[in-house]
Amino acid sequence: METIDRLKEAMVEGDEDACAVLAAELVAEGADLKASIAVLAAEMEEVGRRFETMDIFLPEVLLAADAMTAVMKVFTPELAKDATVAKKGVVVVGTARGDMHQIGKDLVALFLGIAGFEVVDLGTDVDALDFIHEAERANADVIGISSLMTTTMPGATEVVALLKDKGMRDRFKVIVGGAPTSQEWADKIGADGWAEESGGAIDVVKELISGRA
Amino acid sequence: MAYRQWEIMERAATGPFMEEKDFLNKRITAKMREVIKKYGVKFDPAHPVPADDAMADAVWQAAWEFFRDVGVYNQDTHRIMEFSEEEMREALYCAPSSHTVGLGKDSRVFGHRTVEDPRPPFVIFSPDITYDEVDFFQACVAYLKEPLLDAICSPLLEDFQGRAIQSKTPFEIGGSMEHAMHLRSAARLMGVPGVCMIAVGTAETDVAQVAVSQPDWGIRPSDGRLVSSITEMMTNNAMLNKAAHYQMYGSFSGNLTGTIYGAYAGGAEGTAIMQTAYHLMGLLTYGCQFQQNFLFHLKYGSNTGREMLWVVSMYSQAVARNTHLVQDSNGFTNAGPGTDMLFYEAAAHAMTSTVSGANLWETAPARNKHHNHGTPLEARFAAEVGHAVARQGMKRERADEIVNALLAKYEENIPDAPIGQTFQELYDVAKAVPKPEYLDLYKKVKEEVGAMGVEFIY
Repeated sequence: METIDRLKEAMVEGDEDACAVLAAELVAEGADLKASIAVLAAEMEEVGRRFETMDIFLPEVLLAADAMTAVMKVFTPELAKDATVAKKGVVVVGTARGDMHQIGKDLVALFLGIAGFEVVDLGTDVDALDFIHEAERANADVIGISSLMTTTMPGATEVVALLKDKGMRDRFKVIVGGAPTSQEWADKIGADGWAEESGGAIDVVKELISGRA
Repeated sequence: MAYRQWEIMERAATGPFMEEKDFLNKRITAKMREVIKKYGVKFDPAHPVPADDAMADAVWQAAWEFFRDVGVYNQDTHRIMEFSEEEMREALYCAPSSHTVGLGKDSRVFGHRTVEDPRPPFVIFSPDITYDEVDFFQACVAYLKEPLLDAICSPLLEDFQGRAIQSKTPFEIGGSMEHAMHLRSAARLMGVPGVCMIAVGTAETDVAQVAVSQPDWGIRPSDGRLVSSITEMMTNNAMLNKAAHYQMYGSFSGNLTGTIYGAYAGGAEGTAIMQTAYHLMGLLTYGCQFQQNFLFHLKYGSNTGREMLWVVSMYSQAVARNTHLVQDSNGFTNAGPGTDMLFYEAAAHAMTSTVSGANLWETAPARNKHHNHGTPLEARFAAEVGHAVARQGMKRERADEIVNALLAKYEENIPDAPIGQTFQELYDVAKAVPKPEYLDLYKKVKEEVGAMGVEFIY
């Protein structure tokens, strides 16, 4: 079995240690790392699809994602030598002020990371201004706000309003989501995107970032 | 009684440190995998209401070990509140098996039930969704008119004084007070001034909960309160504030927990074990008097699918067989009001829960997310099914057959379930009664479910 195939298998099994060893082997073999990453990313997309259909569950996805991170730790210093490697974009995510429900935000952060975006996870109960400050600091492309309660949805409205007040509305795209939210509400508050579930959020981010290019 | 309240609260500041990500990814998921394997817990899709005592006991043992070894994580202090085997046994032994809630003629006994218990379930009526501020009072009235209602959680408010209620603002406190005042007034006008209110759901924060603790116009010590856990097995200082306040104010406190199927607990096996473990968490961490179970599917936000009903049945049986704790089971349907699918789902959830030893909390329609999409009629139907199957002494094997027949009617439609109609479309709001066409649908489905083997009392 080729090293890349063994690496793919170890990643799906969530074997971080094996992944680190096999990734180092690929580097030593002089493999095309960008092509290897493409292979692994396609495999992670398959993991995501299996999660979407509930053939596997979050723990399996997390293990595979951690294994992918172990691979990237080995690859990154090598890729840094290659000027043709470009980042896909930076997304700052968090739950709206007062909201402690993190699962939706966690899933979006996880799958954005798997899709190759740099994710800055601000956690739960995030102040509206903190979203903006952190987005500035990270030079983010997108701010993502999750609300699971109707009483925390105004927290997302506040982020959009503050961006306008600070004259920065055009600097960041804003996406919103969470169980009680809707496209209609996203339009009403002036957000740039909304998705019903985590998989959809990734597509929205991809579309928004490609639109900025 | 709050079990060793201050010794336990102190652990939020002194317990072992751990990063939150490690607690979730390593401690929770690793231990869950271990206990599923060790105790041989296995989902059986053929039997949504399993009559398998050994499996129910295995779920209990797995949950016991899981909770003992995992503990509860405080997000604010990044420390784990841990409990010894001896403390778990002591707290469980000392917990009362029933509580008299509400006041005077409206008081009721909210107690532990056994598997296949012929005593009817205690039924809490609640749509668990928000209503227009202008119709909120009449929605409360409509629920309070229901004869099988033992306690009410009531609709929620989304706006106060024409502005969206925002957590951690004065509008949350105002909206929460309006919620409590309207509910209290509605209860008096409907002739049930002492009814137990499990409230107020509009109050998300600890501050807003404290603001409504007022025996004249707000929440009394004879009422119920809820304190939640954060997914999974996590708490924070605001939750601990609520727990401490409820105990010292004197309300009956419920641990509001919903394990998410497909998330950190994994599939049906882990979800059943986690939900069982939450009974121990509520008792030991918050000193709760009852457990409010509202687990749901990650993708659909409901708990009436085949795998979810198995989970509901399993954790209910595990707790009913191995403890004398008081538990209730909260139905979350896929379909919305005004559809026959909602009634089928409500029947399946109520029947599964009742024969498995749970009390009922019914019914959150349309995946608990659509404004105004909830009426008392579907909750009435669920309550009638619960009373009927208990009174007729239905066994799990028979319930399993009927639930399978009900699932055949809606299972395939879960992904694209209709959201149905609003309270305003289905009810005469001024009179707070269902419109004739909605009553006709209810009667049609009741007849159909009766023909399946449910002996409705009237």
